[in-house]
Amino acid sequence: MLLLDIKNLTIELETADGLVRAVDRVSLSLREGETRGLVGESGSGKSLIAKAIVGVLNRRWQVTADRFHWLGKDLLRLSSEQRRQIIGRDIAMIYQEPSRSLDPTAVIGEQLEEAIPDHLLNGPWWRRRALRRKKAIGLLHKVGVREHQRVLQSYPYQLSEGICQKVMIAMAIAKNPKLLIADEPTTALESTTQAQLFRLLASFNQLKGMSVLLISHELESVARYTQKLSVLYCGQLVEAGETRQLLHAPLHPYTDALIKSVPEFQPDLAAKTPLYALPGSIPTLQHVPIGCRLGPRCPNARKECVKTPALERQQNHYFSCHFPLTTKGS
Amino acid sequence: MTRYLFRRLFLMMFVFLALSLLAFSLGYLFPGDIVQNLSGLRQIDESQRQQLVAYYQLDKNYLQQYLAFLNRIVHGDWGLSFASQQPLLQEVKLLLPATLELAAYALLLSFIIGIPLGIVAAFKPDSIIGKSISALAMIGYSLPIFWWGLLLIMFFSLALGVLPSAGRIGVLYEIPHHSGFMLYDILQADISYRQEALHNALQHLLLPTVVLATFPTTVMVRFVRDAMLNVWEQNYIKTARAKGLNRGQVLYRHGLRNALLPVIRQIGLQFSTLITLAMLTEVIFSWPGIGRWLIDSIYQRNYPAIQAGLLVISTMVIAINMLTEILHAFFNPLARRG
Repeated sequence: MLLLDIKNLTIELETADGLVRAVDRVSLSLREGETRGLVGESGSGKSLIAKAIVGVLNRRWQVTADRFHWLGKDLLRLSSEQRRQIIGRDIAMIYQEPSRSLDPTAVIGEQLEEAIPDHLLNGPWWRRRALRRKKAIGLLHKVGVREHQRVLQSYPYQLSEGICQKVMIAMAIAKNPKLLIADEPTTALESTTQAQLFRLLASFNQLKGMSVLLISHELESVARYTQKLSVLYCGQLVEAGETRQLLHAPLHPYTDALIKSVPEFQPDLAAKTPLYALPGSIPTLQHVPIGCRLGPRCPNARKECVKTPALERQQNHYFSCHFPLTTKGS
Repeated sequence: MTRYLFRRLFLMMFVFLALSLLAFSLGYLFPGDIVQNLSGLRQIDESQRQQLVAYYQLDKNYLQQYLAFLNRIVHGDWGLSFASQQPLLQEVKLLLPATLELAAYALLLSFIIGIPLGIVAAFKPDSIIGKSISALAMIGYSLPIFWWGLLLIMFFSLALGVLPSAGRIGVLYEIPHHSGFMLYDILQADISYRQEALHNALQHLLLPTVVLATFPTTVMVRFVRDAMLNVWEQNYIKTARAKGLNRGQVLYRHGLRNALLPVIRQIGLQFSTLITLAMLTEVIFSWPGIGRWLIDSIYQRNYPAIQAGLLVISTMVIAINMLTEILHAFFNPLARRG
């Protein structure tokens, strides 16, 4: 079943020089129980998409879409109150700086307990408090925090980033969400903790059928833990499809460059050869090129690339390029 | 927390040391005779002078003089006032409660009005309500307090004649001096006209309190508004929203606490301004407080009184400052971290 179905999502920012289009007609869909990675460089608009889904962008951003469906309901057409109720029930999100996403002046126990919705506590109201506490401890155990007593009584600044992120995950799964959006959940963490967290997310996906939208700039970690992958460049969707297929036979030059820049995906790379990288750097949002935004950096760019390519489809593999790489792998 | 307290008190000791040094050196820095400046006596004959020099240890070195000065301050011998030839400590004790009463009510009023208005202004920053609150706060912030006070006197006392323009209570009412805090004394006193006296005292209190509260209220509005807007942008608010809490719950559980914690500290920082403004207010409304007394003393070149006033007011400001810092640390876990 299709959980999330977004077509041509555009997010614009009003600035003094007019509208800046930070996300340009991106389509994204997510099935139940699916894990999808959203990969792109910083500034490619991946966090904006996540925030637009959860509805926490502030008023300066304008969100428009041809279709913005959650379980068949168009979120953009609902009132903000109805929307908050649906999202509050079904979607949870964790952020890249866990310690800043927790209220610094409240103890963890209080924040975790308030994330547990009332309908999950079956018991008379006078036992709610005890049940809530018990459930909070259970949640902490689920995310792999053993010393629950100390953590529940701590303020966020007294805990490490890794524990804070685990608490964030515990808060996110408290309501048994259908979708968990993880926005660069491991950037602030050490590498051993990173692996732990990815495994945790993967296990919730497998055990509970919770869909996960994993947003990251690290292709290799995302590729390992996801089934589907969407690649963004500068606010445009360049390629989307099955992770394995996409890594094996990328159709877009940007995806190709991204894969070639990761040493793990090049087992037969000789020692001391320079890694492949596209020339130039990602443009600022005020000065994006017209048409395909990769244009000036693309090795295969031709005259036609000043027109934005439409999203084309080869079986389950979507790409937007006038001159896709077809020779690769054959 | 204990360490924090200890560190704060240690710091405060140095501030008081510097303050006492300044107060001591004033005796020499003021023009005129040092013996007169210290004792407050105007006519001193030769034998008395000998006695006083010995008493103040003026024949010894500065360090011993300073220690003697500290000793006198602690034991309550603050000298006499040039103007009234009364012991200064007695005068201060009589006057200080009036100022404290006025300042406390003004501060209270500024909280009651300022904090809700600031929150409203933060929630509707672009609406007419929010904009007009901000505009009013800006006007109040830049209003000269003596002009504002005189304006209110002209309107309410002279034109309408509904409120008195000077003093703490009408001359008809005789209130036995107890603590010096007028309302408390009236409630305490065993008198038949308590109701009327209370009514009269409140009438006297109204205008000065409003005038004095104007500035702190506007500061509070602007401060709470900015703090609230800032907190509302933080990630933990987004997390709370994503948890499915509604606006009121987010405000109550996460917004208010984080936005209002800095306000506690703000009290301490605003207190010195408040006392300065209280002096002006006291002069305008002939309020028998320490501020008016200090300004009168300055006009009369009443050096011992200036010295005593400086000591009392500075001590009070420092103490309040420290108290709010400690309270802030007590309520805010982040401040205890260091």
